[in-house]
Amino acid sequence: MFSLANIRVGWYLAVRQIRRASLYTTGLIVFVMLLTFLNLVVVTGLLVGIVVGIGNQFKSQETGDVVLSPLDTKDYIVETPEVLAFVQGLPGVEHIAARYLTGGTIEANYLTNTGPNTVANETGAQIEGIDPSAENAFSGLARYVKEGSYFSPGDYDAVILGPQLIDRYSFGKQPGLTPLENVYPGTKIRLTVGGATRDVVVKGILNVPANSPLAARVFMPAPEVRALMQRDDQNVTEIGIELAPGADAAAFRDLLLRSGVGADAKVETFADAIPSGVQEIQDTFGAIGNAVGSVGLVVAGITIFIVIFINAVTRRKFIGIAKGIGIAGGAIELSYVFQSLFYAAIGSSIGLLILYGFLVPYIDAHPIVLPISNAIIVAPVLGTLERVALLVGATVIAGYLPARIIVRKNTLDSILGRNT
Amino acid sequence: MALIEVTGLVKSFKDGERETRVLKGIDLEVGRGEFVSIVGRSGAGKSTLMYQMSLLDEPTEGDVLVEGRSTREMATEEETLMRLTEFGYVFQDYALLPDLSALENVVLPLLMQGKSKGEAEAIAARALAKVELTHRLKNLPSQMSGGEQQRAAIARAIAHAPKLLFADEPTANLDRQSSGQVVTIFKELHAAGQTIIMVTHEEEYARAAGRIVTIDDGKVLSDVSLSEQ
Ligand SMILES: Nc1ncnc2c1ncn2[C@@H]1O[C@H](COP(=O)(O)OP(=O)(O)OP(=O)(O)O)[C@@H](O)[C@H]1O
Ligand SMILES: [Mg+2]
Repeated sequence: MFSLANIRVGWYLAVRQIRRASLYTTGLIVFVMLLTFLNLVVVTGLLVGIVVGIGNQFKSQETGDVVLSPLDTKDYIVETPEVLAFVQGLPGVEHIAARYLTGGTIEANYLTNTGPNTVANETGAQIEGIDPSAENAFSGLARYVKEGSYFSPGDYDAVILGPQLIDRYSFGKQPGLTPLENVYPGTKIRLTVGGATRDVVVKGILNVPANSPLAARVFMPAPEVRALMQRDDQNVTEIGIELAPGADAAAFRDLLLRSGVGADAKVETFADAIPSGVQEIQDTFGAIGNAVGSVGLVVAGITIFIVIFINAVTRRKFIGIAKGIGIAGGAIELSYVFQSLFYAAIGSSIGLLILYGFLVPYIDAHPIVLPISNAIIVAPVLGTLERVALLVGATVIAGYLPARIIVRKNTLDSILGRNT
Repeated sequence: MALIEVTGLVKSFKDGERETRVLKGIDLEVGRGEFVSIVGRSGAGKSTLMYQMSLLDEPTEGDVLVEGRSTREMATEEETLMRLTEFGYVFQDYALLPDLSALENVVLPLLMQGKSKGEAEAIAARALAKVELTHRLKNLPSQMSGGEQQRAAIARAIAHAPKLLFADEPTANLDRQSSGQVVTIFKELHAAGQTIIMVTHEEEYARAAGRIVTIDDGKVLSDVSLSEQ
């Protein structure tokens, strides 16, 4: 089948058949190939991208590239000022966010909820004391404020709330989370940390997905949280470190450990800190994407099969004549393989162009906002090329089989249009 | 030695239990340079005989010898190669590949024989000039008249200078003028030494050949050489 003459004649026939095929038909087949390609690559890429999006959210909003947290035996980072000073002096550090974190409760409507049988509208929350400008530089927190506004210098008794703490944005009442009703910017709520209670004004309400680390937090300038915690040291609970783009997080972690920071805090990269199970979810989504993609692959295969079959059946007499005058059956089969290859190659090429020329960069810049995360498309080149190979392989088989069925029919029967 | 020789040729078709013998034992020799017409009434077995001789079909019994070589046990690939290189075919309907232009139709078998594209195109253009189709090289079959298509088919059949040209009723679908052209081309080819075996219905065209073989009921009824008459 693969003799030089067969390849030349097969190519000669294929080129002319494609050139003289109706543009409409060719366009339609190429379109099917394109959709199959996108189905193969983009569905999986998006599903994986959802999980990666969740991770990215943690990275950009909380941990940064490297995160310091208290040692297991402490509830704060020991000698925070020294650690901060040391980290700030290291090259490659872009932003640092030092935070005080403590459990507490918030209560709303406490002035009206006074009847003997009413339940207090209160919920537990994580209180986060931040340096507003450093935190905004680190995570762009101000960007997420949907109602009201972000902190301004000199704010006192002001808090910003995550959406899950607010009745109208949350999933509703859940054990341990009874969102506050009727809370808007300007509303007063009561904040309790340990034994200390303060009435504070809601300054802003965030808009982030439910699984964002910011979703159920109460933000407040650090000095006030320290006061509530009744702390007189400067030791924070968490330090997020954002490195310059492209920096090696693991190397930076090791540098900190070598420098003795490990004695004061737990030092982890984002990848170390990410909750276990995320990788498994990512793999699961990848598998689901592949399953969906293989259905598309089969559909594309059947499409090509039908197209080539109809083409060959309608040309059966001419296939017979070609064989009659001595054209090898293998050459004719190859001509159909080349045609299928052409469709797959054009479809995949357009798909690659759309994928890497538009979809991936665009979605990277404008992630798809889903309730669960801001999803991107994860399409590593190698994986994509594997899928192109898969599509091309399936297409070649789908084009070869029907051609073979028709070409192998008895030559004279084909010429005379006899059915045996 | 004859160019092609048929000995004891029997062809029967099975239709369930019933077996129809269409060729009932044919012996025939055609020498180099001969122009033979095969005539006979419809259903006599002319086409069937032609298919067996040109290796498009397998006889039930008997043998076809090409230059003394038996084709009975010949492998399919070798038969295909023989049809490609030694034979030329003109069918009743024009039988050009619809996706190829006149030139490309003639080029294709030449490429199959291993000729380069340039060489094949030069040979094809010459063959098409012989049948006066130089002005139609780029036309698709659908853009040519029946007569033009049949002439292109003749060009395809002779371009590689086959030892033997087979034609099964090449004029059956043509008007008088085009038929006349085709027969004239055959006469010219014969004059230049081409061996031709042509099946035809028409007495007038049959007489263009030097020899007329009449088939009836699957047997040779008569075999007349016109020059000897
Ligand atoms: N595949 C077949 N199965 C059964 N019978 C067949 C088959 N092919 C041909 N025949 C029969 O063989 C006989 C001879 O057919 P053939 O086509 O050779 O005739 P012909 O002489 O070429 O006639 P025409 O002048 O009409 O072309 C016919 O009776 C035909 O019905
Ligand atoms: Mg006939």
